[in-house]
Amino acid sequence: MKRQLTLHVNGRAHRVEAATHHTLLEVLRRELRLMGAREGCGVGMCGACTVLIDGQPVSSCLMLASEVRGRPIETVEGLADGDRLHPIQQAFVEQTAFQCSFCTPGMIMATKALLAENPDPTDEEITDYLAGNLCRCGSYLNIVAAVKSAAARLRQSAPA
Amino acid sequence: MVLQEQEPGTSGPLVGQALPYLDAVERVTGAVPYTLNFELPGMLHVKLLRSPHAHARIRRIDASAAEQLPGVAYVLTGPKLRELPVNPYYGVVILDKPIVAIDKVRYVGDIVAAVVAVDEDTAAEALDQIEVEYEELPAVFDAEEALRLGAPLLHEQMPPQRATFADIIVSREPGTNLCNHFKLRKGDVAEGFRQADHVFEDVYSTPAAQHCPFEPHVVLAQWERDGRLSVWSSTQTPSSVRADLADLFRLPQSKVRVLTATLGGAYGAKSYIHLEPLTAVLALATRKPVKLALNRGEEFLEITKHPSKFYMKTGVTKDGKITAREIVAYWSAGAYADISPRLIKNGGFCSPGPYVIPHIKVDSYAAYTNLPPAGAFRGYGAPQAHWAGECQMDDIARALGIDPVELRLRNALHDGDTFATSEHMHDVHFEEILRHTAAQIDWGKPKRPAPPGKAVGRGVALALKSTVTPSTSSAALRVESDGSLTVLSSTVEMGQGSKGVLAQIAAEVFGVPYDRVRVVDPDTDITPYDQSTTSSRSTFSMGTAVQYAAEDARNQIRELAGKLMEAAPQDVEVAGGRAFVSGSPERGMTISEVLLRSRYQQVLGNGTYVTEGGLDPETGQGVAAVHWHHAAGAAEVEVDLATGQVEVTRYHTDVYVGRTVNPRNADLQNAGSVILGLGQTFYEEMLYDNGQLTNGNFADYMLPSFEDLPRAMTNRLVEHPGGRGEAHGLGETAVPPVSASIGNAIRDAIGVRLHELPITPEKVLRALLEQRGEEVNEE
Repeated sequence: MKRQLTLHVNGRAHRVEAATHHTLLEVLRRELRLMGAREGCGVGMCGACTVLIDGQPVSSCLMLASEVRGRPIETVEGLADGDRLHPIQQAFVEQTAFQCSFCTPGMIMATKALLAENPDPTDEEITDYLAGNLCRCGSYLNIVAAVKSAAARLRQSAPA
Repeated sequence: MVLQEQEPGTSGPLVGQALPYLDAVERVTGAVPYTLNFELPGMLHVKLLRSPHAHARIRRIDASAAEQLPGVAYVLTGPKLRELPVNPYYGVVILDKPIVAIDKVRYVGDIVAAVVAVDEDTAAEALDQIEVEYEELPAVFDAEEALRLGAPLLHEQMPPQRATFADIIVSREPGTNLCNHFKLRKGDVAEGFRQADHVFEDVYSTPAAQHCPFEPHVVLAQWERDGRLSVWSSTQTPSSVRADLADLFRLPQSKVRVLTATLGGAYGAKSYIHLEPLTAVLALATRKPVKLALNRGEEFLEITKHPSKFYMKTGVTKDGKITAREIVAYWSAGAYADISPRLIKNGGFCSPGPYVIPHIKVDSYAAYTNLPPAGAFRGYGAPQAHWAGECQMDDIARALGIDPVELRLRNALHDGDTFATSEHMHDVHFEEILRHTAAQIDWGKPKRPAPPGKAVGRGVALALKSTVTPSTSSAALRVESDGSLTVLSSTVEMGQGSKGVLAQIAAEVFGVPYDRVRVVDPDTDITPYDQSTTSSRSTFSMGTAVQYAAEDARNQIRELAGKLMEAAPQDVEVAGGRAFVSGSPERGMTISEVLLRSRYQQVLGNGTYVTEGGLDPETGQGVAAVHWHHAAGAAEVEVDLATGQVEVTRYHTDVYVGRTVNPRNADLQNAGSVILGLGQTFYEEMLYDNGQLTNGNFADYMLPSFEDLPRAMTNRLVEHPGGRGEAHGLGETAVPPVSASIGNAIRDAIGVRLHELPITPEKVLRALLEQRGEEVNEE
């Protein structure tokens, strides 16, 4: 049975229909057509479906849509300001921090949470934090470089 | 967004620059249009019923209850398949795979029925309503056992073979599970072993693994009103899928259209025909567009890496010259042939290694087994072959008291030498890459001291891999009236950055900025024929075709500009987006002006690149590869003596690239290959219990993560000294040396040789305990 619920995604409220067993990932993709979060494994092990809820990274394949009613949800689609990429996205482009890019939105959202907590992470802190985000193409070295570059950029633009 | 800071009208060498991906913005905004995201108006969804038995006869199947459920449009079963106007069996080389099971199932996961419904939930519910009665049959899971007399037979009738690719040689025997036998005969191995002072015989094995592309196999099919079939498929081989679908439905190829979007990874898994026939049949039966997407668990059942077992026998003189190598290899093909007939040939002819060996005998056997089908997997048989050959090389070196690098150098192929296939090798650089790679782990210097409770070891491996030969790539390049370029190519963008590489090649010919080039996705109605996006062939084969197409288009621009400027075409130069008279750049006009003033509006250039070669079916002699990918790997490891845990502290690989098109993309290919190799070395293994996969999910099947990287990981791209070498593809080159270099480093650390991948802590610990003569505690 489907029910109406309201999701707050990227700063906007959306009325959607979802069955009680539908995950947040399914609803983001099917109802809201937000295709950045992706199912890589369906069991919360790969991180390709990572979105932020209350600023924290979660596997949207493990959350029921009904669980996150009313809470702020951020997806990769909310990062860029029109044509202006977010500094993390810009860094991922410049470092080519991807290959097939299926994992990239999840990687970027996890990075956003990391840099909010720790604006100047070491290599080890980056790999620890992102260990739950897998990249089957093996772009890990470029991702670490992109995260460091994004961190530097964000520190520069942040008010002292 | 501007991807490249370059003034319009300026030109410079683009090939060789580390440019971003052409579609980089889509990649970081979540906007890549994967096939997984596609929808067609009114489309239906599919769920599959799969066999719970490894080998069984289907006594009865009844889907009538499922068909009655609201929302269910159709259920396909074996008996219904036979009534449809389609050949029920398909396969790229051998027509052995039924679209859904007919009479028999041959592995746990074999597709028994397909439900088409309004949504996936409804289709999934209907699966429970299908009744199937099975009669279990004896099953066989090991390739060597499958070839023994009296083994359970998977295919009672020998399925017909198709003429597909020119290089494929098939040798089978009716009434057996033999899927293919590849033979290589060079010289006389008996004589070679007589000349040897020492003969080494060892057995090595590798397990089944899965590619795990994050985007699964996805197909959408729709029959058009005029009787044509349109298929959107996440395939690496759109041209081949079109040909196979045309055969199945008895249509001319021109009535089948295959469209391929950017893939979310492939690594070989999406080579050749997979779920396209089933989806097209379901669309035919329902007269609706149909979408089929596998889930993660099903992905493990669709296609795998061949488990292998290699019997390696090598004769050497006391000063370390190889006199003979005799190799018997068994590859488990699983229940259906897929591309096994070719893979076991390529894995067979590269197994003697990159060495000068006068006497060689190789027998490479693919056997049908009651496991999921095996096919192309990044490295294409070379990782299995070099795991065996390069581990043994180290053991030979140690037995003879010769340095392992030195032993390889005494035997390595150089320009003009003959390979196992008797082809003359050209453009080979094994000595250079091995010396340099070994130096990166301080080979020849003392080992660094081991931390307490650990042992440090170093190892190297050398490998070569073919690229499919003969092969064909065609491309077209349209110069638009605004002066931009559109590349029409059937190369599939699967994450390797092929669009950018082809754009760089095209842009350089015209001297236009990189972002003035668009590369369209494969669409067999529009983009010219390409054999496949496999075999690390696209940068070289399609790159050459695109270059030819660009040169053809440029010549047409010179003709048109010559007429407009009253100059001979050979006196017209095209550079920086302009056409001008040689020597007087002021006498010229933009390419856009040429097209508008001549009223041509566009020109279309064409390019085709065809390579020649092939092997004799009885001797395996001939030309196996138009050029050879080669790599050296060097590993330094720390082995924990209490736990058996192995850490790779340094890894370096040298690969021969000929000419680099995009160094950052090239680095990514090498790093990706090495990281994939680490997974294959240490933990990736599909585990079966009586044919039932027990770890087909990401909680139980481990992939390399950020935490599994070596402390230092480097690579070097080795270019042709002349600067204008052939640009080699790099998709797989760095994979084959990884496992053997690590196995050799472990042996260097603890003096124990492990013969079976993966190298788990349990196996290392067991070996350590046995070495110390201690009881092995089975708990």
